Amino acid sequence: MKNGHLHPSTTFLRELIKIFEELGFEVYEGPEVDDEWHNFDALNVPDDHPARDEQDTFWLKDGRLLRTHTSNCQVRAVKDKGAPLHIVIPGRCFRNEATDQSHETTFYQLEGLYIDKNVTVANLFWVLEYTIKKLYGKNVEYRFRPHHYPFVEPGYDIDIKMGSSTERNSKEWMELVGSGMVHPKVLRNMGLDPEVWSGFAFGFGPDRMMMKKYKIQDIRQLFGNDLRFLRQF
Amino acid sequence: MKYSISLLKEFYKTDKSIDEIADLITSLGSEVESIKDDTLETEVTPNRGDLLSHFGLARDLAAANLKKLDKPRLKLKEEGEKATNQVSVEIKSDLCPFYLARVIKGVKVGPSPAWMCEKLIACGAKPINNIVDVTNYVMLEFGQPLHAFDAGKIEGGQIFVREVEKNEEVVTLDDQPRELLPKMLVISDSKRPIAIAGVMGLKNSEVDDSTVDIVLEAAVFDRKSIRKTSKLLGLVTAASYRFERGVDDGGVEYALDRAAQLILEIAGGKVLQGAVKAGKASQQIEIGIEYEKINRLVGQNFSKEKVDKILQSLGCKIESGKAIVPSWRHDLEVWQDLVEEIARINGLEKIKPEPLKRSSKKPKASNFHKKEAIKDFLAGLGLDEVLNYSFLSQDDVVAAKIDAKNLVEVANPVQEENRYLRNSLIPGLLKSIARNPSFDDIEIFEIGNVFSAEGERTNLAIATSGKSTRKASAIVKEFCREFGILEDEFKIYEIDRDELERFKVKKPSVSVAEVDLSNALLKMKFKNLSLNVSERDIKYRPISKFPPVKRDLAFVVDRDVSALDIKNSILDVSPMVILAELFDEFSSDRFGVGKKNVAYHIWLESPSKTLSDSEADEQIKKIILKLEEKFGAKLRDS
Repeated sequence: MKNGHLHPSTTFLRELIKIFEELGFEVYEGPEVDDEWHNFDALNVPDDHPARDEQDTFWLKDGRLLRTHTSNCQVRAVKDKGAPLHIVIPGRCFRNEATDQSHETTFYQLEGLYIDKNVTVANLFWVLEYTIKKLYGKNVEYRFRPHHYPFVEPGYDIDIKMGSSTERNSKEWMELVGSGMVHPKVLRNMGLDPEVWSGFAFGFGPDRMMMKKYKIQDIRQLFGNDLRFLRQF
Repeated sequence: MKYSISLLKEFYKTDKSIDEIADLITSLGSEVESIKDDTLETEVTPNRGDLLSHFGLARDLAAANLKKLDKPRLKLKEEGEKATNQVSVEIKSDLCPFYLARVIKGVKVGPSPAWMCEKLIACGAKPINNIVDVTNYVMLEFGQPLHAFDAGKIEGGQIFVREVEKNEEVVTLDDQPRELLPKMLVISDSKRPIAIAGVMGLKNSEVDDSTVDIVLEAAVFDRKSIRKTSKLLGLVTAASYRFERGVDDGGVEYALDRAAQLILEIAGGKVLQGAVKAGKASQQIEIGIEYEKINRLVGQNFSKEKVDKILQSLGCKIESGKAIVPSWRHDLEVWQDLVEEIARINGLEKIKPEPLKRSSKKPKASNFHKKEAIKDFLAGLGLDEVLNYSFLSQDDVVAAKIDAKNLVEVANPVQEENRYLRNSLIPGLLKSIARNPSFDDIEIFEIGNVFSAEGERTNLAIATSGKSTRKASAIVKEFCREFGILEDEFKIYEIDRDELERFKVKKPSVSVAEVDLSNALLKMKFKNLSLNVSERDIKYRPISKFPPVKRDLAFVVDRDVSALDIKNSILDVSPMVILAELFDEFSSDRFGVGKKNVAYHIWLESPSKTLSDSEADEQIKKIILKLEEKFGAKLRDS
C-alpha cells in the first residue's frame, strides 16, 4: 500500500523534458567524465576563459575532467547521430567549490540543441517562450537580454519575474535560461558546414527552478537524503 | 563594473530617469545589479572590455538611439623642450605592441579636488594623490589604464619594456613583496624593473609628496600575458582587469593627452613637447556584412540601410559591403557577431517568435526513459529515491575498505569530500541510512554513474534496513520478474556489523543489492516507456537541523473519509508536523458498521531546538482534537 517517493529533482526534470518531447526533441545522454576538448575547446571556450580556471573545474589525475555542463555532449551527439538533430541533454554537472546554502559541487542541467536548416533567433525565442509559458503560465512576465557565451553567437539570457512585487528593482528578475545560436566554430567542430546548417542551444538549471517552485532555501538538501525532505515529494 | 551616474551623464546626455537608463543598459546586454546613490553597478561580460569605462557605456547607450558618440575635443598645451630629450622608450618584447609616454615637469603633488574624489569613490576607487587619481579617473572615463612614474627615480632616463629573465624580488605599490617569474612583462629603467606591465607599479618609482617631475605611461599589452601574470601573482587590479579584456588601441594617445591635460589643471607644471612613442597600434579588421544571411539567422527583415545605420552608430565604418570594426571592439570577428549587434540595438522585443517546423515523427525513447521506468517501478514497490554525490572522501574509502588504487582520483579538490569518484553506489546509500536515525524502516534506491579504471558505468543500487522492511533480495526478485532479467546480474549481500559501525549506521542490519545497468538495460524488457508526470500539489516544509520526534496514532473513522484528507489535516495543525505517513488502513465491522482503521506515523520537530516529550505531546493532543472535530475520528488505544 505504501508508495515510495521519487526525488524532486527527478520529477521536475521529467516535467521539463516532457515539454520538449511534445516539441519533438529526443533525449540524449553522455558521459560525466570527459576530456578537455569536448567540454571546452570544441565549444569555442578559449584557453584563458574564466570558466577554465583551475578552481572551477574538477580535474582528474589522468588529465580528464568532470564536465562543467552537459554541453559536452553537443559535438558528440552530432557526430553520433548526424544532422538534423533535435535533442535535450539532461545530466549531472560539477563545479569545484566549497558548498554552502546556495553553492553545490553537483547540479543538474538540461541542455537543448536544435540543428537544422534555416533555424533562426525567432525560432529560439519561440521555443523558450513556449516552455516558459508551459511552466509558469500564460501571464508570466519575462524578458530576453543579450548575454555572452563563447559557444553561441548571438547569445541570450531569459529572465522571468518572480514574486508579485511592483517595485522597480532588477533583483526580482530571476535568470532562467542561457541560450543562443550555435557558434559557427562549434558547427564546424561538429563536422557541419555553417553555410548549410544552423541551430540554437539553451541550458536550463532545473535544480534552481525546482527550489523556487517548492521554496527550498538550502541547495544542500538536494543531496542531503534526509527522509523528512524526500518523503514530502 | 561600478559606474558613477553623474560621470556617465557627462557623456550620455539624456532626459531619461535613472531607472529608464538602467533598463536600457540591461536590454543592451549588461545586467544592472544595483543602483545606490551615485553608483550603478552592472555585470559586464568578458567579451565587452569596451564597456569598462563611462564613455564606453555612454557610446553603447547612444547607439541604441542610432547616434554615434564622439569623444570631447582636447586642447593640450605643450611647452619647453621635447619629451624625447628627457626619456627614451624601447620595446624588447612582442607582448607590447604599442607604448606611449609623456613628461610633465614641476607638478605639485597633493590631494585631488572634491569633485574628482567623489566620482572615484562612487566607482569604488580610493583617492591617493592628484597625480595617481588622474590616472585612475581617466581610466574610468575612457577605459585606458595609465601609470605615472616619478621621473627622478627612473635611472638613466631610459624605459625598456621587456620580459623577466630570471626570478626577481620586487615590492609593488601596495607594499607587498612579490616574486617576478621569467616571461612576465615588466617596465624597467637602465637598472631594474619599475613596474609590472599592465598590473601594478613598483614602490621604487612611486609618485609621492616629494615628486616634481613625472613620466606618464599609456600602452597596450598582450591580453593573455597580462592575465597569466595577474593569476600567477594573485593580483587583479583595475588595470589588469581591463588589459585582459582588451583596451582600445586607437584611444591610447587620447587618454594620455586627457590625463596630461587634467594634471595641468589640478597639479600644475608643464607638459613637454610631444609624446615618446614606440611600436604602433594594431590593424583594424574588416567583416563582410552578409545582409541576407543576417536576416536569415535572425528571422527578421532588416533593410540594408538599417543594418548600416546600426553598425555606424556603434563606430563601424562601412565600405563596399564591409564593416571596418572600431578599435575598441575586440569581440567582432565574423558576420554572426554583427547579428548580435543588430538585434540588440534594434531591440530584442521586435523579434517576432516563429514556431518550429513540427516534425511528424515521435521522439524515440532512450536509455533515459528506461531508467525513469525503473525508478517508477521501485517507487511503486515503496522505495524512496535518494541522490548522493558522485564523490568519495578518504574516510569513505577507509570505511568501505576500497582499494584506492582502483579509483579515479580528483587532482584539485577544494573540499576533502571530493577526493575520489565513486565506483559503487553502496557507500552513498549507507551514508543516507546513517543520516536518518529517526526512521525505523528504510528502503531506498539510487541510479547513478560510477567510475573506475574500466570506465564510466550507470549503476542501480538498493538498500533496506529495519524490522518491517524486505531484504534487498526480495526486491531484486520482484525487479527481475518485472523486467525479465536474471537475479545473478545483481550483487546482493548483507553489510557486516563492523562496516555499519564505520559508516555510523545505528541499525542492526542493512541489506544491499547493486547492478550495472549499462549492461542490464540491454536485456531488460519494458512495457511502457512514456515519461510519467503527475502533477501534485506539494507544499514543502523546510526541515529542521534538530532531530524529529516520531509518534504513531491510530484512529477509527467512517469508511468514506479519505486518508489523504486526514493526512492533510494533521499537517495543518502546526508547522511542527514535518511529515505524516499513513502506514495502516483497513475496514472491519469490529470498529462498528461502515468504519475503518487508519494509522499514521507522525514526525514532529522545531526549527530552533530538540523537542521535549511534553512539547510533542501538546502537538499530538491538538491533532487528536482536530481529527475528532473534523472527521469524528476516535483515537484507538495502542
